[in-house]
Amino acid sequence: MTDGPLIVQSDKTLLLEVDHDQAAACRRAIAPFAELERAPEHVHTYRLTPLGLWNARAAGHDAELVVSVLLEYSRYPVPHALLIDIAETMSRYGRLQLVQDPVHGLVLHALDKAVLMEVMRSKRSAGLLGARIDDTDVIVHPSERGHLKQVLLKLGWPAEDLAGYVNGEAHAISLDTAGISNPGKDGAPRPWHLRPYQNQAIDGFWHGGSGVIVLPCGAGKTLVGAGAMARSQTTTLILVTNTVSARQWRDELLKRTSLTDDEIGEYSGARKEVRPVTIATYQVMTTKRKGVYTHLELLDARDWGLVIYDEVHLLPAPIFRMTADLQARRRLGLTATLVREDGREDEVFSLIGPKRFDAPWKDIEAQGYIAPADCVEVRLTMPERDRMIYATAEPEDRYRLAATAPGKNHVVEQLVAKHEGEPTLVIGQYIDQLEELAAHLGADLITGSTTVPERQRLYDAFRTGEITKLVVSKVANFSIDLPEASVAIQVSGSFGSRQEEAQRLGRLLRPKGDGRPAHFYAVVARDTVDQDFAAHRQRFLAEQGYAYTIVDAEDLVTD
Amino acid sequence: MPRVVARAVFSAVVSAERTLGDPLRGPGAPPGARIVVRMATFSEDLRSRSDDELVALLRRRPDLASPSPSTLSSLAARATSRASLERALGSVDAVVLQAVEAVVALHDDATPVTADRVAQAVGARSDADRELVDMALARAVSLLLVRLDEEPATGTATGRGLLAAPGLAELLGPYPAGLPPAGTVSGGPAPTGRNGAVTPTVPAPLLLGDVLADAPPGARQVLDALMWGPPVGLLPAVRTPARDAVQWLLTHGLLFPGDTRHVLLARDVALALRSGRTHAELRRPPAAPSDVRHPLELVAGESVMAAQRIVRLVASLVRTWEIEPAPVLRTGGLGVRELRKLAAQLETEEADTAFVVELAGAAGLVADDREEIPSFAPTLAVDDWLTAELSVRWALLARMWLTTNRTAWMVGARDDRGTVRAALNPELTRPWAPRLRASVLGVLADAAPGTALTVAQVSEQLAWRTPRALPPTAAVAATLREAGLLGVVAAGALSPAGRALLPDLRPLDEVAATARSGDGRRARSAAPSSAGARAQPDADDVAAALRDGLADAVDEILLQGDLTGVVPGRPSPELEALIERAARVESRGGALTVRFTPESVRAALDAGTTADELLAGLAAHSRGSVPQPLDYLVRDAARRHGRLRAGAASSYVRAEDPALLAGLVEDPRLAAFGLVRLAPTVLAAQVSTRELLAALRERGLAPVAEGPDGHIVHAERVIRRVTRRPRRGLVTPPDDASHSAAARAARVAALVPELRRAELAQQADLQAQLADREAHRVAARSRADDAASAATAARAAGRGTAADDALGSSAAELDQHASVGGRPRAVDAGPRGGVGHRPLARCTTPATPATSATSGGTADPVAALGLLREAVEDRTDVWLELVDAHGVPQRRRVRPLRLEAGRLRALDPARDSELTVAVHRIASVARVEPDPLDPTEETHD
Repeated sequence: MTDGPLIVQSDKTLLLEVDHDQAAACRRAIAPFAELERAPEHVHTYRLTPLGLWNARAAGHDAELVVSVLLEYSRYPVPHALLIDIAETMSRYGRLQLVQDPVHGLVLHALDKAVLMEVMRSKRSAGLLGARIDDTDVIVHPSERGHLKQVLLKLGWPAEDLAGYVNGEAHAISLDTAGISNPGKDGAPRPWHLRPYQNQAIDGFWHGGSGVIVLPCGAGKTLVGAGAMARSQTTTLILVTNTVSARQWRDELLKRTSLTDDEIGEYSGARKEVRPVTIATYQVMTTKRKGVYTHLELLDARDWGLVIYDEVHLLPAPIFRMTADLQARRRLGLTATLVREDGREDEVFSLIGPKRFDAPWKDIEAQGYIAPADCVEVRLTMPERDRMIYATAEPEDRYRLAATAPGKNHVVEQLVAKHEGEPTLVIGQYIDQLEELAAHLGADLITGSTTVPERQRLYDAFRTGEITKLVVSKVANFSIDLPEASVAIQVSGSFGSRQEEAQRLGRLLRPKGDGRPAHFYAVVARDTVDQDFAAHRQRFLAEQGYAYTIVDAEDLVTD
Repeated sequence: MPRVVARAVFSAVVSAERTLGDPLRGPGAPPGARIVVRMATFSEDLRSRSDDELVALLRRRPDLASPSPSTLSSLAARATSRASLERALGSVDAVVLQAVEAVVALHDDATPVTADRVAQAVGARSDADRELVDMALARAVSLLLVRLDEEPATGTATGRGLLAAPGLAELLGPYPAGLPPAGTVSGGPAPTGRNGAVTPTVPAPLLLGDVLADAPPGARQVLDALMWGPPVGLLPAVRTPARDAVQWLLTHGLLFPGDTRHVLLARDVALALRSGRTHAELRRPPAAPSDVRHPLELVAGESVMAAQRIVRLVASLVRTWEIEPAPVLRTGGLGVRELRKLAAQLETEEADTAFVVELAGAAGLVADDREEIPSFAPTLAVDDWLTAELSVRWALLARMWLTTNRTAWMVGARDDRGTVRAALNPELTRPWAPRLRASVLGVLADAAPGTALTVAQVSEQLAWRTPRALPPTAAVAATLREAGLLGVVAAGALSPAGRALLPDLRPLDEVAATARSGDGRRARSAAPSSAGARAQPDADDVAAALRDGLADAVDEILLQGDLTGVVPGRPSPELEALIERAARVESRGGALTVRFTPESVRAALDAGTTADELLAGLAAHSRGSVPQPLDYLVRDAARRHGRLRAGAASSYVRAEDPALLAGLVEDPRLAAFGLVRLAPTVLAAQVSTRELLAALRERGLAPVAEGPDGHIVHAERVIRRVTRRPRRGLVTPPDDASHSAAARAARVAALVPELRRAELAQQADLQAQLADREAHRVAARSRADDAASAATAARAAGRGTAADDALGSSAAELDQHASVGGRPRAVDAGPRGGVGHRPLARCTTPATPATSATSGGTADPVAALGLLREAVEDRTDVWLELVDAHGVPQRRRVRPLRLEAGRLRALDPARDSELTVAVHRIASVARVEPDPLDPTEETHD
């Protein structure tokens, strides 16, 4: 029995005591094979999953190393069954290999004939495999490479993909670290450099070939994308959530790389430009006309060397299917919150690639790259009359009733007054509520029906400090870069969405010039479903170590 | 292996005997000093033994002493009984068995069987082999399977003859060691060969080759096939080369004809082929497997983990059943559904749950309470057990498991009759279960500490140790699994705590025989009868062994902002109690992670903890302060806790004006009524409405009763009625003109409606009875006074129906009336009347068409039988109301098939099954009438 920082539980979770002397070393040692699940203040929870273990194998770690790491850092004897399980799981990886055969093209090669037989017999692999060459080799239809990998993963025999990637069309891209394209007000270049964790992320991705990088909001995911492009030196397709986000990518790339305006195309509802670097929206890609995806040809319009998926947690189902066909190209997924309420995280991993880099939000905060945030849940007691209405309402109406409780306006008013002068966002789900709030606060409102130029104008005004209050609907959930925003007040949300909550907090996390902390308020009606959903919404952030302080609305005044 | 046995051929046996307590000689008698007298019989031999020798024998073969034999003769008889010999033989290892077989097989020959011959026969090649055989013989002698002939064997200088115990030969079958019996000597009645030459008789071993030189092809293969036994072969079909070969062998006297289809190998030929041996190969002890060796800390750690888990599971089982005991099946044991429920509660697999239940049962922690409706509940022993320290609790469980004859692994399997074996079913006991555990653990114990053995490896070892009593692999696997669940075995190896249990396993003689502790014979049967004689290790030894592996308890919980907490180790009892009260466990193992939820905190508050106590408890154990979200959660839960109150009251008083109620609560005259002020305008009382009303009226107030809907109920006087059949005599007045034909015709004409009316009246009566019964059922549930009025109402309703029906002019009309007009009447009679009217009221609902055409029913037994006979005749369906074995009435539509000997055999078309009902269980029978709306099908004959 050592005095290590790690406790290995029989349900395959690893508990890491953060305050322990060896905690940092242990974290580095277990990171390659264990998934960080929760990172609250004292004990971080990692989980051993088959996927994680296989990814570790893919990255060159073997079972012996995993076991010895566990034994080295574990405080108590490690359950024997778990060690056996690790060895067994890891030994399943690589019995099958996807290789490029000079004669037959893409081939599934088996080191273990029985496994190949099992896979070929399985109903799931029907149609993915071609003719059998010999005992150990089967032809794979190149278009089914992604599907096959997914199926093999589900069958528990993950293939080692040795077939490599197509190089793609070369295109010179470099990072403009000298800052020439982004001069200061005096016209002098402003040199900059990638942060250490960004470099680590890019290295991790490049080494693995494809994969997902998880970084907190505001930690500079766009730059990681740019860095990957500079590493790839090829034409790049960037898929983003919406047009505003596409423009932000474009601006950022112009500022931070050697790319010029002519080299970057926008492929959206409004414009259809295909250039060496093309930024397309998910929406345009998934547009169907007469049952056919009309813009699919974009994927083949050029010989893309790199495909970047922004906000990969939002990847719509059709994109999953299209991605399956892109297995020969390098793929990079970027996200802050890889939690999907539909539980399809695994598909993201198997189609785009395993998680290549993940950092707890609080770690990045501690390094000073994102602003510290203070999360507060304000509980509002509804007046008698509203409670009666709520109690008698149909279940399907209850959330709306509670979320749009009239009392919230007053609370928001108090909060806005408290942070007078600080750039403040009021975020909500229901348009009537937002309209009412906007009128109440005398602030501008951005919803889905606001035109893109108008949105741009308002965002710009907010960025420059011209206006300090902005009421926004869920259109501002993602990819809107409002560096100066330091206060967000959330009045309602889409039920219990964890990633929405995290993304909304993410709007505040750009480090502020004066280092002041961000304030995130969630206004919640007490004793209603609103409160239950809020608890669920906060789980991701709570697990990232953001402890919500809960205050009663009545105490706000004295606060 | 310690070698204490001398080398010399026979003295090996003797000296081994001396070490073990020589069964043949008195202690201290020098070898060969006794006057040699041939002991003719086994019982005389036995009788001549000293007391110590007999004691030693009884220890080795405990079954001989239980029940106590009355005389030495009966002891001898018992020792040679098949059962006892089988048992003794079942406990010996492969070498002993070989030696005993050799003694039996060779005994048939004229020359005495000496140790030398045995050694040679079983194939001992080296000195080590020889030693093994000598020890095996010593063992056989000590078990009285083999005894020594008092007379030195003539012609051999090497030792005395060995005699098998009587009955042993029988036990080993007709061909011990696969050798043909004596007397089957080659060349018996040798027929003359085809060429007139007489076949040579008795081929000496060396000559066998010569004889076979001119044998047809295949003859050698036949001999080879029969060589090592069984020496019986099936005669091949005629005109095949094989048949020719066999024929040649028969002709030359190497084979004997057995019966018409079999042939037998000649004994001397077999011996010649085997070069005089009885066994092809000496079965040396298999090497102890040691391919997987775990560090001892790992084994200890795993064992402790399992031990903690099993103790926790048994404790949770006790906690569950102490609140809600589980019902006992009528056939005994715990139902599958109960087991499944328990598995869900304990969060274990069903097989594990069955083991937990069986273990708790074996340890006497839960038992059948033998109440009228029996259920399994914790026993008094639980309280001591629960408060004991973890290791002590475990020691009790482990000990009980070791000695119980329950076979938990059989739960869930089906028995010979196809019924699922239930946990705690009394039939799940097997007397051999403790022996099985002892032998399996014995194998593990003999391997080097930390050695992990697989089921196959254990089975292989057992196959050598007890070849005659080889447990099935499934039982070995189950034993290892159970041992693993307990932590007696961990990671496949015997745990230190398990090893501490071991002295329990060892019979006394083997404990004494320390000299042979390494030879693997420890795993002998440990019959329950010898339990008292066994060396009992101190209970604390076992507990202490477990305690050594236990990490120190942790008295600290790390509380975190996401409402989780982590105890980085084994929680101390107080901390565990706190967590159990107020949190939900998320994962277990080296540490304990818990989550606080509104529900878990509420449960703690429900159990009587206050928010402040809870927070203080958490703060006391927490490493920093309690995080604000958790603090808020607890306080918020406390704020919401108990905002709704529920209680029991029998009646209430309410008034719009609080002034009216003023003083009632304080009035001493009303003190007995238990008035409580719930609100300024509402008082609750603990007496019935009627009493309350009476008391209030007496006090000069003017209350009225109100119904559940707030309407005023005028409390009328309770009026009683009884139901009676209308008197038939009143219906037909005496007719003076009864003699005339017209009058006769008139009378006949009048008779029909009368009969019909009578029938209808009867039917109405039946319905009234039904209503009555229904009312009684209602009455049983509600308060007595309410029920009385209900019954009256129902009865009145029933009578009303009867009267109504009796006035109906035609049956068809009536049927229609009954089915169509049923509803208004039911409504008129009020809710309770409606219940009484169920059969009629239901008539209007098309959802129950089965009852829609009910009429012509009877409860009169004679009539019912008639109706049934008719139905059998007509092959029509009837409605049967029967009372089942539980006394619950049921109503089924059946087609009677046969009525005889007080039993009705009928077909239930709805369930497509046949049923047989005792006639006395039939409460009523009613015809199923055709659709009343279609009068053409109406038949009343």
